Amino acid sequence: MVTLSRTGCRRALHGAGALVLVLGAAACTSPGSGTSGEGASGGGGGGGGEGLPDSIRVMSIRALTGPVSFAGLNAQKGIDLAVEQIEADGLLGETTIEVDTRDSATSPQEAASFASQAIADPSYVAVIGPEASAQATAVSPIVDPQGMPTVYVQAGSEGVVTGDFTFRITPPAASYFDLAGEYAEEQGVATASVLFNSGNPTLVQLGEEVVPQLAEEHGFEVVSTGGVEATQQDFTTPASSIAGEDPDAAFLMVQGPQYPVAITQLRQAGYQGELIGMSAAGAGNLASAGDGAAGFVWPTNFTPDQDVESTQAFVEAYREAYDGETPNNYAAEAYDAMWFLARGIAEADSADRAAIQEGLAAVAGEGFDGAQGEVTFEGNDARVPGVLVRWDGSTEVPVEGQS
Amino acid sequence: MAQDVLNALTLGSLYLLFALGMSLAWGTIGILNFAHGSIFVFAAFSAHLLVQEVSLPLPAVLAVGVLVGAVLSLLVQVLAFEPIQRRATDHRKAEMQILVGGIGIAIIPLAVAQYATRSVPFGYSASSFRVSTWDWGFARVSNVQLVTLVAAFGLAGVIGWWLRAARPGLALRAIGVDAEVASMMGVDRRRLALLTMAVAGGLAGLAGVLLTYYLGSIAPETGDAFLLKAFAAIILGGVGSIAGVVLGAMVLAGIETLVLVTTSGTWAPAIAFGVIFVMLLVRPNGLLGRQEVRRT
Repeated sequence: MVTLSRTGCRRALHGAGALVLVLGAAACTSPGSGTSGEGASGGGGGGGGEGLPDSIRVMSIRALTGPVSFAGLNAQKGIDLAVEQIEADGLLGETTIEVDTRDSATSPQEAASFASQAIADPSYVAVIGPEASAQATAVSPIVDPQGMPTVYVQAGSEGVVTGDFTFRITPPAASYFDLAGEYAEEQGVATASVLFNSGNPTLVQLGEEVVPQLAEEHGFEVVSTGGVEATQQDFTTPASSIAGEDPDAAFLMVQGPQYPVAITQLRQAGYQGELIGMSAAGAGNLASAGDGAAGFVWPTNFTPDQDVESTQAFVEAYREAYDGETPNNYAAEAYDAMWFLARGIAEADSADRAAIQEGLAAVAGEGFDGAQGEVTFEGNDARVPGVLVRWDGSTEVPVEGQS
Repeated sequence: MAQDVLNALTLGSLYLLFALGMSLAWGTIGILNFAHGSIFVFAAFSAHLLVQEVSLPLPAVLAVGVLVGAVLSLLVQVLAFEPIQRRATDHRKAEMQILVGGIGIAIIPLAVAQYATRSVPFGYSASSFRVSTWDWGFARVSNVQLVTLVAAFGLAGVIGWWLRAARPGLALRAIGVDAEVASMMGVDRRRLALLTMAVAGGLAGLAGVLLTYYLGSIAPETGDAFLLKAFAAIILGGVGSIAGVVLGAMVLAGIETLVLVTTSGTWAPAIAFGVIFVMLLVRPNGLLGRQEVRRT
């Protein structure tokens, strides 16, 4: 696959574009232990499936329309690629995976309704949960008490991972944000301003707690902290304020589409210092800013050029499957989520929901190498090393010496 | 201080550009078009698609935005609002159905733009127009900022004059006061309604393009955020009054800027809308609204 486990066994793979590579060495143990191929998908190591039915159904609740459709549409591609590779890899034996995708249109009510349908229909063995926190927090109180294994991508707020049956494959930005502090220290940053979106809990946490903590640890002073509303369109006034203060660095914790505007207006206001953001700046959001955003850096859980074997295997497979398109973090996370789920099912060797939860917990205990790199877990919440990237005017590239 | 005032005026101009078309249609022919935000975004998006193919100068991009906005608005009027008006049993029901219909129609162009862009921001970096910034010592100002200010106040002035001095404008205001009596006096209501919707749509397109230049880029959802602000500016200023819209937009932007400058900024929308609420308790018809302008 691409999902790779740490030891691997060899496996050929492929279907319409995916590839598999595998270098086998040690014998395959259980899928949960991460044995199996390393290769494009990190394969689960196949060979399972004796206790599984001919086909298993998974409901994928995606925001294919609405304001976060950029995440849902890309996630869908990652899931499709993963399923293709899982079946080619033979991780679940002869068992096929039927992913039933439902468009939540970014509506919490729709997402909750779909989750209820999945619970009521015994043919569904698990759910891949919606991206937006508002939807995920509506789904978790339904799936967890009812014993429906659910794996989320994105959905970074509190109230998503609520119990044994809810897992999240996207690591919280705060868990790898120290990369930004190290970068600031290397650049000799002594003063910094913070601007954050006050309508998003993750961004508020980064702006009000994480960056000040970084300042203490990496020896710089936060000279101002300001919030903007959730749907802020014009950053002229906060940009003028920051330019007037002229700190060495400005930390921008805003939503993806706000990044090109905030950066452009900061530069137009005359600010020339370091600009540091978070992972929402990726996924093509800076394209419209072009050269104007060159030099902007941010820590992220995935970038297609990160120097990790499992990441590169995924990127290669993705490009082959999607006419050369380069994957973004949403595709990578969903790809890892699908492989994580498949490995949990293989570990359980059963279509029983409770057994699958135990299988997922076992896989989480071992960790695995995926599109995001080395994925480990704290409880049911994933962690990755992260990577610092820079916008070079046309694309994001890893910052030399940072990882 | 000068920079803050300039920033507030610019933000107010953005609200004003967006709100002018809405206010014109609402205050005269009684159509509160909640598809205005979608028309605004789709016109800007159409211009973006064209600019990706041909590097156009600013006036040409503006012309494309105006044209697309006007055509879309006319289509909405002919295909949706006119049939609603014909079938509604009374005027109040028609207004309510148009409001709800506008919300429904807005979803279509928005969904197309979201699908095409994957909700990633788009701009006019391929255009031949380049944003330049000058430092005047007391304030920094960009060329697109000046264009925005001139366009907003200039268009408000022209529309205000047209409604007060030109015969079609007077006829339009007559419709706003009493549509039936205006018809009996020989006013061609349908023709003027189409003209008004075309102008309103053109203004939405113009605002969309100018805003995209000014901000550098916009996302498909940008129209939703501006719709709420424009609605508030119109209500605050007084429905049916162009001067009221100007005042409402500037007051809203001024309060927001003041809060951003003097506080951490988190409470800007809450304070701005709280002040508007208090103002409306004192003047329910808005700052410059007049009782006789209310439609019957």
